[in-house]
Order: sequence, then structure tokens, then C-alpha cells
Amino acid sequence: MVLGLYAFADIAADGAPHLNSAAGEELVRVERAAAVALGSRAPEPPGTLFITTRRVIWVSEVEKGKAYAVDFLAVSLHAVSRDPEAYSSPCIYTQIETEDGSDEESDESDSEVNVETELSKVTEMRIIPSDPCQLDGLFEAFSHCAELNPDPNAESDEENGWAHRDEGDEDMTGGSDAECEFSDVNPIGQTDEHDITHAVVELQINDQRFEDAEEAEHETHGNGH
Amino acid sequence: MDLSVFHRRNKSQVNEKDIIVTSNFATQLFFSYFKELVGKEVTVELKNDLAIRGTLHSVDQYLNIKLENTRVVDQDKYPHMLSVRNCFIRGSVVRYVLLPQDGVDIDILHDATRREARGG
Repeated sequence: MVLGLYAFADIAADGAPHLNSAAGEELVRVERAAAVALGSRAPEPPGTLFITTRRVIWVSEVEKGKAYAVDFLAVSLHAVSRDPEAYSSPCIYTQIETEDGSDEESDESDSEVNVETELSKVTEMRIIPSDPCQLDGLFEAFSHCAELNPDPNAESDEENGWAHRDEGDEDMTGGSDAECEFSDVNPIGQTDEHDITHAVVELQINDQRFEDAEEAEHETHGNGH
Repeated sequence: MDLSVFHRRNKSQVNEKDIIVTSNFATQLFFSYFKELVGKEVTVELKNDLAIRGTLHSVDQYLNIKLENTRVVDQDKYPHMLSVRNCFIRGSVVRYVLLPQDGVDIDILHDATRREARGG
């Protein structure tokens, strides 16, 4: 799974990208004369947008060989933006998930040119069609394709977000609200891995840890730092 | 089972009685539950800390969420998202969904978790 935006080079003579048809990639929508703006940079001169079942590819019409792509797996959010106060042109606004600083595949990109690493750090992309009436159609195409690309490893992702430090933090006491809310769940019995009581204890730990995380925004904890 | 439902406390930006449901596991359970909340006002907090409030338009089996009439909770931090009216959020980047108290039927949730526990 490739996170972030990347340069796309596999373009046919007619300007269309070569798709990975072996992996079932198909073209869903083509939008000509669409500008793209990366992060806070100014929009690039118009190009052609290709929405496929796996990714979004933008190919410059002005600068030959210039093209970007981002996998739908890395598109966290997409939305229609029409308010001129937020952005000068009506556009599809997207947020892009990027690799964290310390990823194991980084040694490959180290040897690449600087532009490549810059691209991979872009977290926002706007697509500005020449005809604003296309926005809703583009949004629907994005939504359709996003649904075609669920996370392959959603569970382990979630675990990273939550379940770690638990064992070391047994001195934490849970929130009484959660205990109260689930007290009548206790007698039900056991699941395969662990009993409900254990789950309730986890619940309280999660609760406590969540509050820590929130508070960490305005006060620094001694714990771990 | 790793269902985490609890009251949110000490947060000024939301109603004290708002309830948070995390989307850890039990995806199917949440899917069934969130479907019942279509049309209600929710706040979706992303793993990048962005929080978006809006009317729940739809949810799918991957917990992808479509919101309408959205607004960003922390507008000072994300001014460029002010204008966004409708929004598709990838399920895998959702950290929490905050539900309004009146949109939550504790009994239904209890029943669902019991079924989940038995089924597990």
C-alpha cells in the first residue's frame, strides 16, 4: 500500500496513463482541463484527471511527462469546496495520508530526486475543474472508488492507535461512568479470547488513556518524555 | 470484543453527555448501529485530529462516512475547510464518532454488544 502522492511516469503517447489492468484497474472517469493544486502551492496549469478504480492520476497537458498519482487507499477525505472565501475556485478538496517520518521503505526514496520526497509529503490536494458543474459528479466518482478500496489491514491499523501501552499502566483507574454503563454486561459470560470483565477493564483503561491524550495537547506529561 | 463506548467528560466543545464510539473492532456492529443514525448530527474526529461535525448522510460496511452540512469544529486550525458542505471520510482514518445523546439508545447498544459477545 502506497501512501502519499507520487510521480507517475507510465504515460502512453496519447497522454493517457497505462493502467495496471493485471490488477483489475479500470478507468472510471476522465476530466479534461482540470487544474491541480498541491498543498498551499498555486494551481498547476490544467491537465487531465483520470479517476480509476484504484487511484487518481493527473497528467499535465502543458508539461510533457509531468504527472501525479495518489492511491485511493491514501485519500483520507474528499469534499466539494465551493466557498470563494476558503478557496478562490470551486474544487474537490482532498486530504492525503502520508508515510510517517520513519518508514521502512524510505531507503528507496532516499536515492530519488528531491521532488519525489516533496510529493510524498503533500497532505492536501485540490482538483479544480474548468467547469464547476462537474464537481458533484467528480465527488460521486471519488466516493464510488473510495468504497472500492477498503483498507487491507484495517485491524492492525486500529490496534496501533489503541491497544498498546495497556499492560504497563495497570495503576490507572478507570472512569466510573463507563463502569456504570456496562455493569450489567458482566454476567453474560465469556468470549473465546477473554472474558467480559477483562474487556470492561480495558474499556476503562482506554477511557483514561483517551483523556490523557486530550490533555497532552495543552500540558506535557512527564510520562515517557 | 473490543467495543469502547463511554461518556465523554470534561470537554468544552461538545455536550458533556455526548457519547463516543470508537471504531476499533466490531465493525459490523458499528455499521448496523450507525445506519440507524443516518440523518442525525454527529462529529467525526480523524486520526489527524481534524474534527468535522455534520449530518450523517450515509455509512458503509467499511465505516466510510458521508457527512452533509459539515463544519469543522476547530475552524481556526483548519480555515480552508470552512466551505466544505459535504464530505466523504475514509473509515480507516476515523478515530471517533461522537453521537448526540438523543441519538443514542443505550438499550439497543447493550443488546448489540450482548449479541456480539455471544457470537464471539
